[in-house]
Amino acid sequence: MEKYIIEMINITKVFPGIIANDNITLRLRKGEIHALLGENGAGKSTLMSVLFGLYQPDGGEIRKNGQVVHINNPNDANDLGIGMVHQHFKLVEIFTVLENIILGVEPNKMGFIQKKEAREKVLVLSEKYGLKIDPDARIEDITVGMQQRVEILKMLYRDNEILIFDEPTAVLTPQEINELLQTMREFANEGKSILFITHKLNEIMAVADRCTVLRKGKLIGTVDIKDTTKEELSRMMVGRDVSFKVEKKEKKPEDVVLSVRNLSVPSKTHKKDAVKNVSFDIRRGEIVCIAGIDGNGQTELVGAITGLEKSSSGSIILNGKDITKAPIRKRSIEGISHIPEDRHKHGLVLDYKLEENLVLQRYWQPEFQNKGFIKFNAVRKYAEKLIDKFDIRSGQGPITIARSMSGGNQQKAIIAREIDKKHDLLVAVQPTRGLDVGAIEYVHKQLVETRDAGKGVLLVSFELDEVMDVSDRILVMYEGEIVGDLDPNKITVEELGLYMSGAKRDRVKEINDAG
Amino acid sequence: MSTLYYLIQNMLPVAISLLLVALGGMFSEVGGVINIALEGIMLFGAYFATLFVYFVQDSGLNPQTILILGMLVAAVAGLIYSLLLSFAAVTMKANQTIVGTSLNMLIPAAVLLFSKMFFMSDGITTSINFYIRKVPVLGDIPVIGPMFFQRTYLTVMIGFALLIISTVVFYKTKFGLRLRACGEHPHAADSVGINVHKMRYLGTSISGILGGIGGFFYSVGIMDGNVNGHTGVAGFGFLALAVMIFGQWRPGKIFLGALFFAFLRTLAYSVSLIPFLANLGIDQTYYRMMPYVATMVVLAFTSKKSRAPKAEGIPYDKSLR
Amino acid sequence: MQDRNSDTNKSINLNSIRKNIDFSSFTSALMAILLGLIFGFFVMLFAMPANALAGFRYIALGGFSRLGDVFYFATPILMTGLSVGFAFKMGLFNIGASGQYTMGMFFALMAGFMLDLPNGLHWIVAVLAGMVGGLIWGFIPGFFKALLNVNEVITSIMFNYIGMYLVDMWVRGSSTMYNSTITRTNYIPQSAQIPSLGFTGTNVNYGIVLAILIGILLYIILQKTTFGYELKATGYNKHAAEYAGMRGKTNIIITMMIAGALSGLGGAFAILAPSGIPGSSMTYEPVNIIAANGFNGIAVALLGNSHPIGIIFSALFISHLQRGGTLTTLVGYKPEIIDVVIAIIIYFSAFAMIMNAAIGRFIKKRIKKEHTDIIEDIKEEIDNIEASNNNSKEAE
Repeated sequence: MEKYIIEMINITKVFPGIIANDNITLRLRKGEIHALLGENGAGKSTLMSVLFGLYQPDGGEIRKNGQVVHINNPNDANDLGIGMVHQHFKLVEIFTVLENIILGVEPNKMGFIQKKEAREKVLVLSEKYGLKIDPDARIEDITVGMQQRVEILKMLYRDNEILIFDEPTAVLTPQEINELLQTMREFANEGKSILFITHKLNEIMAVADRCTVLRKGKLIGTVDIKDTTKEELSRMMVGRDVSFKVEKKEKKPEDVVLSVRNLSVPSKTHKKDAVKNVSFDIRRGEIVCIAGIDGNGQTELVGAITGLEKSSSGSIILNGKDITKAPIRKRSIEGISHIPEDRHKHGLVLDYKLEENLVLQRYWQPEFQNKGFIKFNAVRKYAEKLIDKFDIRSGQGPITIARSMSGGNQQKAIIAREIDKKHDLLVAVQPTRGLDVGAIEYVHKQLVETRDAGKGVLLVSFELDEVMDVSDRILVMYEGEIVGDLDPNKITVEELGLYMSGAKRDRVKEINDAG
Repeated sequence: MSTLYYLIQNMLPVAISLLLVALGGMFSEVGGVINIALEGIMLFGAYFATLFVYFVQDSGLNPQTILILGMLVAAVAGLIYSLLLSFAAVTMKANQTIVGTSLNMLIPAAVLLFSKMFFMSDGITTSINFYIRKVPVLGDIPVIGPMFFQRTYLTVMIGFALLIISTVVFYKTKFGLRLRACGEHPHAADSVGINVHKMRYLGTSISGILGGIGGFFYSVGIMDGNVNGHTGVAGFGFLALAVMIFGQWRPGKIFLGALFFAFLRTLAYSVSLIPFLANLGIDQTYYRMMPYVATMVVLAFTSKKSRAPKAEGIPYDKSLR
Repeated sequence: MQDRNSDTNKSINLNSIRKNIDFSSFTSALMAILLGLIFGFFVMLFAMPANALAGFRYIALGGFSRLGDVFYFATPILMTGLSVGFAFKMGLFNIGASGQYTMGMFFALMAGFMLDLPNGLHWIVAVLAGMVGGLIWGFIPGFFKALLNVNEVITSIMFNYIGMYLVDMWVRGSSTMYNSTITRTNYIPQSAQIPSLGFTGTNVNYGIVLAILIGILLYIILQKTTFGYELKATGYNKHAAEYAGMRGKTNIIITMMIAGALSGLGGAFAILAPSGIPGSSMTYEPVNIIAANGFNGIAVALLGNSHPIGIIFSALFISHLQRGGTLTTLVGYKPEIIDVVIAIIIYFSAFAMIMNAAIGRFIKKRIKKEHTDIIEDIKEEIDNIEASNNNSKEAE
């Protein structure tokens, strides 16, 4: 019988209305890198949260070295040597790096923290694995890459032997990803065991020893990486053959719809500008993608264009009209549609009915109101039309409360609202975030159709595959500046990564001025 | 010079009361619970401590001993009352502002009800004198002596001690670090095995203790050892919240804020003693409104860059990670 | 088999009830009231065991013997309740109803004493003056919130004190209004008093009629207009409201002005009401105390779930309790017992909804324990959905 360090046997976890994990078994060998593959919502994070003690399973058991263990909270997990790097970092922003690393296991005498002792141990670990950090910097001031190193050091500081990485590469440049994968390999060679949650097949093929695939809460199977292919893994993950290519015709750019000149936007988190002196054009009939690592000014740039944030200098021209200082409503009337980054924060009023959400941008138009009174019949008819046209599925049709709808259908509702509204420019920020493959295909199709209908599309994405496949032109943002204006057909992902990490840059401003 | 001494001597008991309550608010809020109930907690602590003083004042005990015992009674009373807030805000995940408001309403009504039924008055009146004319030795130091150790109360020295303890706990202990983590990012705290609910209970409990003591010190230093349900603590709990915001949830700055507000208030009540102000002939009411107006001015200038604990006021729900 | 069916039915019924939001907020209000009354009873028992039952009977039933008074005293708290509830709909906590109410009183008093107008007009002008007073005092926290990002709770509290000090000073400073021998204001001229409805034995007046009409008007604004749509959207999710181009800052200020106006009207209705002695009116005593009716409005709004129609009934209910409370003095208690009960009701209504949901979950769990195979059912259901999804995909 084979020796396993961790066995999760027949784990079942039920949330109201959904079975997140249905009878799942996962066995982790000592010293291996074990990938856990699945789409968004397949149950990967739930399974790992069970292992880390954040959730209690409704059925099944966990064994360590063959002994049944009960993990009721992260402390129990820590005592068993299990550590986790969460997808959304669990770091206290106003604390220093050192404080974050020791939080929960503070070396102390009579309750007084002994920082010196802690610092020495952290520096030794940092040195040993080449995880460069500044122990006295505040989290809010350091890069995302360094924040992730802090998360890794948290595990090492606790002498964890079983390391869980939850989607660790989503926020990194291709170069940083390579470094991370190497570090993971190093850990495995030292005898640490690694669970690596991801939905990126390339990374699994590059680093993992084995892979367990989940789909819709169910276990599909565990395979040896050396015996499998990317295509087989993707079939296991999605349940059918997937074409990764987005179907689209050659672009036919027409006249300029949006023109941004020398735009600067102040940052809310630090004193410098988040967007620095940026200029570019978007034409009708093209999809322009802003690529870059999260936090390089994309949010602020989009905010300035849609009106959610104020710019400090420069101009924004839409259809020849200056909208630099225009209020949001005015920009909407002039032809900007906006699929926001955070659909729960900005995109929907979750406690409103679906029909009320579908008129969120239009309730004030004569079609839907008369002398300040809302025409509820017209709203209902319009909602039914959109639901039908965009295939929005929900429990009770127009009167469904938005909160009770699935993420994919919430996103469909937003897309329906923004695309059906009269517009010339569609701004879509991470429109596929958190969606499954079917929904992603749907969103991409809608973006291409919008383009083909002669509108301009500004897409912001952190997913390199999406950037490469969907866009007609790529603008790379790095530290608030546009450092590259690239043609997706002429560059490689690796090149793109060099731009994203700031290692390479063109003199884009001149290019723009010339064109 | 004597006017200055007079102002400082009168200001310190006010400042200490504000300081302790604001520190209480700070411990509660950096843990993540908005404590708008400080007003009620103060009155609750003050009422029970004064009740205690009322019953032992003729026992022949040294007044300063009675004051310390009364302080302990106030601390326990404040602690118990704050548990009502913790239960609603932490365990039941209720709206913290509404719960705080109800707790503020409950106490004056209860004080009036019981005082009217059992003391035939609006509150409790004691006859003990906690006043210290001059502290031996220390009171004779030039300048410092008259400022801090003459015509004062023991409350001032206790208050300074509690300030130092609070500062050390806040910055130097693992408890302080963990509590602050719970108010900033409870999910992060939870993920490293810190019991967020327990820490929040502890934070509000400390605010109950400090709030209760602050309330008793208010009745000792400002109301001559009396308490009544009608005026209660005259909005001091709310002023303490303003002091806390002014101090940006940090002990040192809170101390400065408390001094500033206490100075304004003392000035307002000493107008007749300061010839320059008295000659201006402005209605005293304007001076009395000054702390409240000052609060608004301060907030208008500070709130845009406020560093309030990020998760304050939001009940911690594990499932919403 | 039959047994199982009946149980499934039960769980379905429970579910549909729990889904009915109006019903669940009604039951949670009832629960808060019940807990408040029980607690009040214990307080009475603790204070004076012998008379507790008699006293409690007065609280529960006393109001029925004085229905006119119930309506009379319901008017101001109905208005402050509408004020708090209206602001709540936009996610603002108007704890400043008290100061706005006091300002409303003062403006109404000014119009009552200083203006000399014909009979039918004078009281209307005085009422409108009160509205303006409240409106101004509501504008301030709205302004601070919208433009300076200062939390409306703190602003409101500070301006409760500032307003109270100002009004007390102004009242004492006016020889027309203030009678220093009785340390109160004089009776206002009869032309400025709100006309009585003419029921014998009580001074219930047009104030209550107007208050109820205003409640209905607010209901229409909230449910049927674009302004109501914006207001509620902002209350639910201010980020989405901003994204949709709603003018959040303006709306905050307008909402707080309306809320202030409502409280101001409450103050006007209270101070302009005819009192028990023929020809006299209510009077104001400047004693540096924050007006309690502002805070009672919070209880009224919470019990009415911030719904204007619900608030009408909850105001009547609270007023009923208060009338009963004054009667408890007959058996040795004090009217403050009702303030204790009201505070407890607010305390529990702050989490009554959650309590309700918890009880609902508990019942559900019981059912689940009886039929552990419910998980199997869900699984089956999901499998079915999946199968049908796959079918539809293949069909495409």
